[in-house]
Amino acid sequence: MRSLSLLIISILAIGLAGCKATPPAKFETKSVVFAKHHIFVGNRKQKNPLPDTVQTRADGKEAFTHYCVACHGMDGQNTGVPFVDHLSPPVPSLASPDVQQYTDGQLKWVLDNGIWPSGMPGSKGTLSDDELWSIVVFLRHLPPAGSQGTPDMYNH
Amino acid sequence: MKKKVTLLVMLVGIGLATAFWGRMVGAQPAPRRVEVVSKRFAFDPGELTLKKGQPVVLVLKSTDVAHGLRFRELNLDVKVDKGGTAEVPFTPTKTGDFVGHCSVFCGSGHGAMTLTLHVVE
Repeated sequence: MRSLSLLIISILAIGLAGCKATPPAKFETKSVVFAKHHIFVGNRKQKNPLPDTVQTRADGKEAFTHYCVACHGMDGQNTGVPFVDHLSPPVPSLASPDVQQYTDGQLKWVLDNGIWPSGMPGSKGTLSDDELWSIVVFLRHLPPAGSQGTPDMYNH
Repeated sequence: MKKKVTLLVMLVGIGLATAFWGRMVGAQPAPRRVEVVSKRFAFDPGELTLKKGQPVVLVLKSTDVAHGLRFRELNLDVKVDKGGTAEVPFTPTKTGDFVGHCSVFCGSGHGAMTLTLHVVE
């Protein structure tokens, strides 16, 4: 009986140790990035139905401003987000190769479904398809890091 | 003297005819007003049917927060302040079924707030 209790406590302890919010190791990061790009994130072949125009980029920027800036900053590169260094896995810069290497269809999939178990939530139903596709266009033309200032919500 | 009177009568006649013709041509019925009420997270009615080429005035009302109604394919976008009313003249130029979305972020169900417009011949 005592050994069974010890076993259960040990398993729980190991489980909890895995919950520490420390930066992931290099190997861990590489494995997860590979798995996301090639296994978990679907919709690789879907094309963006919206044209890449000045208007669509502006639409994408507006939609991004409503929903995404809290974690990704106005520039999509985490500028001014106060908790960005305290999350594990960290909030990625959307201008980074890891993100930009997704196809348009995959970016839309991530916006729709989120990425579990990171903090990235799915936005299906919260934003329309039209807005989500316009965000994909905006992500391909992010402004220079720091050029958009800090999100309003962190200025008060 | 007789010539002058005749000329005067002719001029008055032409003037009256011109004014009357102008009125006849300009006398078109006022466009139909189509009211849509928006509130989190639906439009009422959720579907509309309009005739191609027939001008209407789209009246968008809000009973709560700010909303918008946008049909990208039809180049139509109208926004309304919270509790307000906005109007926009609109003439459908192509037939088909079009889905419009709320164009002002209004909360968690914003993305599902749609209105289907049927444009018929």
